[in-house]
Amino acid sequence: MVIQIDRRLDEPAYEQAARQIRDAIATGALKPHELLPGVRGLASDLGVNLNTIARAYRLLEEQGFVQIRDRSGVEVAEPARRAPAEASAALRDELWHVLLRMRQAGMPSAGLRREIDRQLDRLLTPQGESER
Amino acid sequence: MEAWTVWIVLSVETIAAGGFMLLIPKITRRGLLFGVYVGETQSTSDQARAITRGWYVVMIAALAASVVLGIGLALRDPQSPKGALVSLVLLLGATVASYLWAHVRSLALAAPGAPVSAAAFVADQRQSLTIPILATAVALAGGVIAVGYAWWHFADLPASMPTHFGASGRPDAWSPRSFRSVMLLPILTLVMCPMLGAMACLTARAKRAIRQADQGVSFDAQVRFRHAMTLFLSGVAVLVTVMLTALSIDSVRVGLGVIDGLSPVGMAAAVVVFIYALGGSLYLMLHFGQGGARLEQSASGAPLTNGLADNTHWVLGMFYVNRDDPSIFVEKRFGIGYTINLGNARALAFVAIFLVLIGAIIGIALSMPRGHAPIT
Repeated sequence: MVIQIDRRLDEPAYEQAARQIRDAIATGALKPHELLPGVRGLASDLGVNLNTIARAYRLLEEQGFVQIRDRSGVEVAEPARRAPAEASAALRDELWHVLLRMRQAGMPSAGLRREIDRQLDRLLTPQGESER
Repeated sequence: MEAWTVWIVLSVETIAAGGFMLLIPKITRRGLLFGVYVGETQSTSDQARAITRGWYVVMIAALAASVVLGIGLALRDPQSPKGALVSLVLLLGATVASYLWAHVRSLALAAPGAPVSAAAFVADQRQSLTIPILATAVALAGGVIAVGYAWWHFADLPASMPTHFGASGRPDAWSPRSFRSVMLLPILTLVMCPMLGAMACLTARAKRAIRQADQGVSFDAQVRFRHAMTLFLSGVAVLVTVMLTALSIDSVRVGLGVIDGLSPVGMAAAVVVFIYALGGSLYLMLHFGQGGARLEQSASGAPLTNGLADNTHWVLGMFYVNRDDPSIFVEKRFGIGYTINLGNARALAFVAIFLVLIGAIIGIALSMPRGHAPIT
């Protein structure tokens, strides 16, 4: 897997890094408990500030995608079996606003449903199966 | 006899240096041209070829002139090896001038805009540091042994100490016994050898500059090249340690009158270091190419990324200065191996410590009174 930072984009570098790692976890390219590159090594290979990668890892930890361990580094977190009520409510709210924005952008109801189904398929189908 | 030995060594160095310079365009990563990132397509254009041809013409002429000058000076004064040194300096001067000429012309072809940063998302293997750390430990032990041996025998040494040895291993310069004359070589061993080991450790963690969307070919080539370079430098650190430790101990033993000249261990180690450095460099160049360029041929059309491709962070194509980049060692754009990131505070500290220590040792060496016979 290759991670890329494009400074010409408006999206901040740490968000670009976090988004690509999140996608890799969601599609199964990175498995639970898999060790991620160290902050210094990854920042060095990318030629970006240490804080960029540290911030991306912190963001992913807040979102529950990784666990930061002091000695053994950063590893992919196991998906939570049951979401806490408050977090679920916040995420549902976030999803609601995304759907609202999509409809406001002109997407018809049928297109909206198709998009939700497509994204769900992408999320729930392991990477190996989707490639077949 | 001794003058001829120095002649041969310097002449081999001149020819090897000239040969290496002629090889460099052949081993450089595609997309780079004399320290400038011009893009993968542009680097094989007619303009790029014309610049490279100019480099070959100047370097072949300089090498031929150096050899002719060296032979001429050898015939004129066979007892002095200064002629060989002159031809080596002539070649180095021509190399610098020719590089600057080619670099300035390549700048006109420079690729515009900031490149994408890319990295393989793979954790570094901890065991990759085992060999360079062991080499550093050997280097440190050698330095401690050299200093300890000289310190232990300091009081027993005579008033005059040998401070230089000829090619036959016999002393040819002496200084009055002092801390400087006795401890110079052991301290040099203690400083220089661990520094070489540290360079091997830093190389094991050097930045890996990959190509975009090449299915991991350039990453694999980078990893193999970096590993080979780390092993090579670890070997240099160990061999130089054996050589300097043996020379330090031998010079004390000569001073004590235990032996007449350098032992075969130190002499053999010096020859092995020379052959290993020359052969190892040649092997790295021909088998791997710079940064594994020869291993990534199938993917060499994919664009290079940050580190190598960003022209804004390179001065004269030789010096990398990027304050945001935490890398200490980065791949060279021209030549073989790695160079320091001069924008990194830790890298600058490493260079400063090295320069101060080596400068102090050279200063002490130059300030020592010296005679061609034992001083009584």
